[in-house]
Amino acid sequence: MRDLPPWRLMTPAERRRHWQRQWRLAIPGLSVVVLIFLMTAPLLVPVPVFPQLALLGVLVWTTARPGLMPSWLAFGLGLIADLAFGQPLGLDATLFALAVAVVRLVEMRQRLDLRLFDWPLALAVVTLFELGAWALMTLAGQPIPLLPLGWQLVTSLAAYPLVVAYCIGVQRLGFGRGFGSEPGR
Amino acid sequence: MDWTSGRRPTAMRREQNLALLGAVVSGAVIATGLILLIIARVNPDGAARLRGAMLDLLTPVWSVVRLPFDGIGRGVDVAGDYFGAVTRARRLEAELAEARAALQARDADRVALMQLRRVARVAEPGRRAIVTTRIVAATAGAMTRTALIAAGRSEGVTAGLPVVGADGLIGRTIEAGSGAARVLLLTDPASRIPVTIVRTGQAALVVGANRPRLELRDRVGADVPLAAGDRLVTSGDGGVFPPGIPVGTIVDPREPPQVRPAASPLGAAYVRVEAAYLPLPADSTPAVAESATPVPVEALRSGARPRAAPAAPALR
Repeated sequence: MRDLPPWRLMTPAERRRHWQRQWRLAIPGLSVVVLIFLMTAPLLVPVPVFPQLALLGVLVWTTARPGLMPSWLAFGLGLIADLAFGQPLGLDATLFALAVAVVRLVEMRQRLDLRLFDWPLALAVVTLFELGAWALMTLAGQPIPLLPLGWQLVTSLAAYPLVVAYCIGVQRLGFGRGFGSEPGR
Repeated sequence: MDWTSGRRPTAMRREQNLALLGAVVSGAVIATGLILLIIARVNPDGAARLRGAMLDLLTPVWSVVRLPFDGIGRGVDVAGDYFGAVTRARRLEAELAEARAALQARDADRVALMQLRRVARVAEPGRRAIVTTRIVAATAGAMTRTALIAAGRSEGVTAGLPVVGADGLIGRTIEAGSGAARVLLLTDPASRIPVTIVRTGQAALVVGANRPRLELRDRVGADVPLAAGDRLVTSGDGGVFPPGIPVGTIVDPREPPQVRPAASPLGAAYVRVEAAYLPLPADSTPAVAESATPVPVEALRSGARPRAAPAAPALR
């Protein structure tokens, strides 16, 4: 996209090409929708043991391509997740947007390159997510016990590298090589 | 930064403005989410149409995706059936002998019960299956324990119907799309099943806790000791679940008693959606107003109503 000349200098063919390339901005969102769909797999376990793939996807895109995962997009993805999981509407929406905001804040305040210690960051974000979900479910009038959510913390951490690999794959398909090499803002 | 100049460079200003805008949008979005949650608390059935549409989107895809896995699973099952067939046959023969003896005693009881019911003119609504369907998806990764079945409003499935597997109760429907419905499983913390303890006859509630085992709460007569192995069946209270469906077995009688569910939705690929046992009348006020003497609502529902307005389910 960056190799194109400014809008007024483009030929009509280049303008067409420019607009045809815009759909790629939806790639991060679509890849998280796929993860949400995976989370509705027919695994009927009594414990919330399936990893929070959608949250991890949002996290990976936020740290690697912040411009493509704004908080309003995370909010929309959370709404889709709430509808898909039959949760109170607004639970995942609030928490996904909150996760994006927290990562932004940490990044801004600490001037850290988050890609260097992404696993501890994932641990912190998933822990906050589970605590937040527990609190917000109580707010929504459907209290849940806190301890079983620990299983999800463990499996989510284990699944984190897989989600990163998945996002790298999607990124290379959609944008070409060099995932994470440019901030993308 | 250039302190001498009163103006910030354009690029820096633009970036700061964008950051400020981003922060404002984030705050607005999070506030919207919280407001949505409070709305969900006040009105849990809101956005029912959106939820139904989402079910209709999810279910067909999983129905196709899981086809090859079903084939593999069946193959594994068939192979597993051959191993250990002899020991299983011996165990089943022993169980059959016990069951035959119990059945004879049960037959005599049933005749006596029928006679008693005839004497007491007990009118019992029958059970009616709406559709038999399969579980196609679940929410293993979410805060709620629900499953998606491949039958919806077009098959007559609505919210609030009991879902029964081969071995016992699975749950009840909470949302319905046109071709799919969501089932609240017994293990969900929001699930409350009114049960009777078969040995003692006490009424209680079985509550989910996001764990493999369920909890027995609000037992009437908590001083009567329970024992591991006590069976729980639905009591029919509340009008959703028909009485007598196996719910589980007590595995740990210490307070709160722990219950192992009778039916696991994991094994129950096919489930039966039944009509609500005694659905609440759409408008119960005229029935109360018609009778000259005040009659408790419970008595009206259990069939002790005037002849002119018999209970609708009893006629089916």
